[in-house]
Amino acid sequence: MEGFALAYMGAGIGLGLAVIGAGLGIGKLAAGLAEGIARQPSAQAQITGAVNLPLFLLEGVAILAEVFALLIVLLK
Amino acid sequence: MQIEAQVQEQAAEAASEGFNAGEVIIEHVANSGLDHPLIHLPTIAGIDFSVTKHVFMLWVVAAVVFLVVTTTVRRYLRQDRLVPSGFMNALETVVEFLRDVVVRPSVGDKWAGSWLPLLLTLFVFILSANAIGLIPVFEVLGLLNHWVFHAGEESFLGRLLHGGSTATSNFNVTAALAVISFFAIIVAGSKAHGAVQHWKNLVPHGVSPFLAIALIPIEILGMLVRPFALTMRLAANMTGGHIAVLAILSFVFIFTEMAGQFVGMGIGVAFSVPLAVAISALEIIVVLVQAYVFTLLTAVFIGMAIHAHH
Repeated sequence: MEGFALAYMGAGIGLGLAVIGAGLGIGKLAAGLAEGIARQPSAQAQITGAVNLPLFLLEGVAILAEVFALLIVLLK
Repeated sequence: MQIEAQVQEQAAEAASEGFNAGEVIIEHVANSGLDHPLIHLPTIAGIDFSVTKHVFMLWVVAAVVFLVVTTTVRRYLRQDRLVPSGFMNALETVVEFLRDVVVRPSVGDKWAGSWLPLLLTLFVFILSANAIGLIPVFEVLGLLNHWVFHAGEESFLGRLLHGGSTATSNFNVTAALAVISFFAIIVAGSKAHGAVQHWKNLVPHGVSPFLAIALIPIEILGMLVRPFALTMRLAANMTGGHIAVLAILSFVFIFTEMAGQFVGMGIGVAFSVPLAVAISALEIIVVLVQAYVFTLLTAVFIGMAIHAHH
């Protein structure tokens, strides 16, 4: 019973940490994107294209963390 | 009158069992079980080949994509003047967008022609599978079955009502797609540099031999993590959206159980249905973005294998 509760707690904390990290990362990227477009509106397509790839890689890392948090609960 | 009595009877039945939100959501997201598959097939070498719902949905998606795309393109090619019209316009926009925005910048002009077909197939297939999963066809079929058809639990239709309908929310399906892109990366590198040079390219040139040996396991790990991340990203995104919609809708039943049907209905009208509609609208974007991301990342990895400037 105690291991069960600890697994849930660990998964919850890990999930929250992953979301904090991903939120900070996506926020930074969005801020950079907005600033870049504000300075150089003609280069919008290029800037968006350059931001997309790291954004999706970041999302992938966050989702990996969430999957592992789920696995902690399921395989406790 | 009769319908009313039936509804009351069912409500009483459901209330006596109690509403288990987790069970209902998993039932609507997961694949149908192997104990009641759609079509029974024999077990060969320890693998059960029975057709479950996600396999069935894969076939449906493949058939829809094949029929729609080939008929559109054939009709377009039969015209006297090659002026696209109707759906062909949309198809051409998608193809040109992928060619000019995704494939050419990442794969390079020289190899774009050889990798465009694979990437287009991946994009169109994943997009259709995601989008068909958003349409609650089987829920409507379930209602029709309940009121009109009365098909038995063990009939084909009865079995079709179990499990989710988004094939790409199954980790096995996305793993198979990621395995395709895994081998595509290797083949791309081997075609561009030769079979031996591709594997040598994994380790950067000009590092000391000790460091190169230390880098080999890291590079192999990185090679395997990429398709794993592709798998998890697509499947988790598709599952997550459906779970969010269903969890919000299940508040109606939870509150009905807790505080009576009027509170439940109020929650549904004021909170659950508007929010579920909003999340479904968000899901339309997610469906497009995830298909785009899978294609973009595969294209970028293929490009990295081709332009290995270490």
